[in-house]
Amino acid sequence: MEELIQKLKEEIIEVLNLEEMEPGEIDPDAPLFGEGLGLDSIDALELIVLLEKNYGIKIEDPKDGRKIFFSLRTMAEYITEHQK
Amino acid sequence: MEAYIRGIGNISPQHSWDNILFPGEVVRYEGNRLKCIEPDYKAYIKPIQMRRMGRILKMGVSAAGKCLRDASVDMPDAIIMGTGLGMQSDTEKFLTAILDNDEKFLTPTSFIQSTHNTVGAHIAVMLKCNKYNFTYVNDNLSFEGALLDSMMRLSDDPSEKILLAGIDEITDSYFTITKNAGFWKEDIPDNLGLLNHAGSGSIAGEGASFFIVTGEAHPDNYARFAGIDSFYKPESDKEIDDFITAFLAKRNLSLDDIDLVITGINGDPGWDSGYFRLQDTLFKGKTLAYYKHLCGEYYTSSSFASWLAAGILKTQSCPEAILLNNSKVNKPLRNILIYNHLRNTNHALILLSAC
Repeated sequence: MEELIQKLKEEIIEVLNLEEMEPGEIDPDAPLFGEGLGLDSIDALELIVLLEKNYGIKIEDPKDGRKIFFSLRTMAEYITEHQK
Repeated sequence: MEAYIRGIGNISPQHSWDNILFPGEVVRYEGNRLKCIEPDYKAYIKPIQMRRMGRILKMGVSAAGKCLRDASVDMPDAIIMGTGLGMQSDTEKFLTAILDNDEKFLTPTSFIQSTHNTVGAHIAVMLKCNKYNFTYVNDNLSFEGALLDSMMRLSDDPSEKILLAGIDEITDSYFTITKNAGFWKEDIPDNLGLLNHAGSGSIAGEGASFFIVTGEAHPDNYARFAGIDSFYKPESDKEIDDFITAFLAKRNLSLDDIDLVITGINGDPGWDSGYFRLQDTLFKGKTLAYYKHLCGEYYTSSSFASWLAAGILKTQSCPEAILLNNSKVNKPLRNILIYNHLRNTNHALILLSAC
């Protein structure tokens, strides 16, 4: 799990152009949206594409996104459960 | 129909950010491509806003901010832009992603930012400005279209403060494609020797020139746009001469009233011959200048020439680096005519006058 979280940190920094951040600065349990990392709705779309492109996971119901993308850890858990 | 220039923000291959006409030496570039000298964007744009911005967007947003502050304007009444290529780098990124991913997995950011009006739209979002917002994309008449629109708006309401701009970037792929098409000179040692190189083509450039224009006179105004017009594919030298003469006559001026002519000479012998013909005929005896050795050739380079002319009129001094054939400058400088064309297709005249 920790390995996957580390990989996700690096991918998120690249995909969301968080050039000023180091992977170590991202708290895996902090909220990704609003407080914490402060991501917005465009970032949410980028994360949906990231899941599909890098892990082959397609989110069918957008409502699930709120739970899946709460934090890096919830993302990693969802990937672990759903990756084929 | 006039537009006073109240504020300026300029990013170019020269040290124009501080809005001083070439302090010290002009910047020399080896080869056939001139890139903008960019400010430290972190001082002007918040990191969270900057992370999705492409290079041209950063240039536009920071130059717009500088221009607004220079004019002490918090909220413009209109944002009117001209660009030939728009957000070229994001367009390329989006198209490349389509190809690389077989039309799947397309992310939103580069798509959102791949439209030509992204810069104007982004400035509006940052300022929360929901007023008139328009981007003209008309080849090398893009800035001219934006200027004409601005002047027409000001003739209706002179109190408006309009953010007017010409902006273009050159990307690696665009440069390579146009280089292969023969647009740029081969083996040119540097930009300052543009006119000494006999080969065909020009040198590539880019820039972001922003102006706050208004119809109201003010001691802080730099200069005023006093006229703009264009013509298409002239069939004879006489047609060009007549157009220039008529353009001035419409403004109750003749060539005797023009103190400086800034030409769009770009180093390509094929296209420059028209300018040199005028040098020996209609413009004979006039003080002549050129500017594309300083900013390169790009679709909205006339906005750089306008910045140059505004600075010359404000300071009443003309940088020697732009003068052709050691032309003598007579003062006071009251009227400057900018004449530019691209490959003898779209020709444009812009008249700037002292306030």
